[in-house]
Amino acid sequence: MPAMMFAAIRHASRSGTSALRAAPRVAPVARGFRPTPFNRTLITKKYTEDHEAVIYDDQTKIGTVTITDYAQSSLGDVVYVELPQTGTEIEKGDQIGAVESVKAASDIFAPVSGTVEQINETLNDQPGLLNKSPEEKGWLCKIKVSNPSELDELMTEEEYKKHCESDH
Amino acid sequence: MRLPPIYYHWFREPLPYMQGLRLQESVHRHQLLERKTTGDHRDYLFFLEHRPVYTFGRRQGNDSEEAMEMMRLRATGADVVLTLRGGQTTFHGPGQIVGYPLLDLGRTSPPMGIRDYICRMQKLLKAHLAEEHDIQPVPSEHTGVFLDEHTKVASIGVQVRHRLTTHGFALNVTAEPLSWFNKVVACGLEDVKAGCIANAVKPDVSPDSISVSKEIPGLVARFGRLYEREMLPLDIAELGQVEDVVREAEYVSRTQGPWHRTPVF
Repeated sequence: MPAMMFAAIRHASRSGTSALRAAPRVAPVARGFRPTPFNRTLITKKYTEDHEAVIYDDQTKIGTVTITDYAQSSLGDVVYVELPQTGTEIEKGDQIGAVESVKAASDIFAPVSGTVEQINETLNDQPGLLNKSPEEKGWLCKIKVSNPSELDELMTEEEYKKHCESDH
Repeated sequence: MRLPPIYYHWFREPLPYMQGLRLQESVHRHQLLERKTTGDHRDYLFFLEHRPVYTFGRRQGNDSEEAMEMMRLRATGADVVLTLRGGQTTFHGPGQIVGYPLLDLGRTSPPMGIRDYICRMQKLLKAHLAEEHDIQPVPSEHTGVFLDEHTKVASIGVQVRHRLTTHGFALNVTAEPLSWFNKVVACGLEDVKAGCIANAVKPDVSPDSISVSKEIPGLVARFGRLYEREMLPLDIAELGQVEDVVREAEYVSRTQGPWHRTPVF
């Protein structure tokens, strides 16, 4: 667990609205420990205009893709989730799956380029997880990010919040 | 802020399903590009009938049972197409109005949610039946419009990409689609059959007086009302990419010849 102990998050201190809750692995930095540069993990959460989020761990270079709480609330009850194949190489902006709510299929697009390392198979049996826990248990896939600088082009939590209010 | 109008067009001849799909994809790509480059993209609403076709929804077509079902349905003489919309198996054919709204849900702030978009579509169909034909649909736990618990008259299935919609709704007007619907379990509902306006009108109305063309003006007006938008006819004589693909689809629809009125097999 040491990596988690030293975990830091860029926006951990922001408002605690459930919609934008940080990933569960974030623990407060324990006092008395001196973080060493070698095992410090920086977890970043970035957002797209189409309401996807990516939680990026710069140590493992893994980006966990989710839809946002805002997205799930606008969709209604999710009945089916289409996920990409593990091992697929994807480019930022590629269609990587879809979320089907009642009578509507909404495409999901890759927020970053990379290779699909893992998909959340639980969603096959429990698509409703996307409504209950869109940004945590209802994660869609984990991407080994090939070009981390792409994350800089995505929105921060603050920018995303503004985007949800105005959408323009 | 005042929203721009929605441009509508009605195709007079039944369109092959794939032609309708091509039309939607072309307009979708055009909207996406225009939104990005000029920010001046239009919304559209197309009304049409399809030539007989069974379509499957996004979550279908993955197992061998569904593949068999698709083979079986080809023998009816209808086309069979696997689509990327929500919902499950359905039929489209002459005697049924299909509406394809190609809208940007992000025009308002906040943008229209997908659930809201579907809900308005359902209200539009119910209002149309009530106001135009004095038919009172019954409430149902399922999406779509029901004449009674076991009779469905209209269906909804959409796809949303980057907040731009494709696919839409289908409303059975005459009895022609019904024998086709009898070949499938539509929308995954085992104990539900298809109904139509002609079979549900009041006794003093002749079913023969019911036609697809008479439904269009009322649907256009109610679409504008429910989505709070001005509706303008698309001038297909104008120059433009969308006008081009509409003209092409019009041409194809006029050159198809007769279709099977009932399932062959």
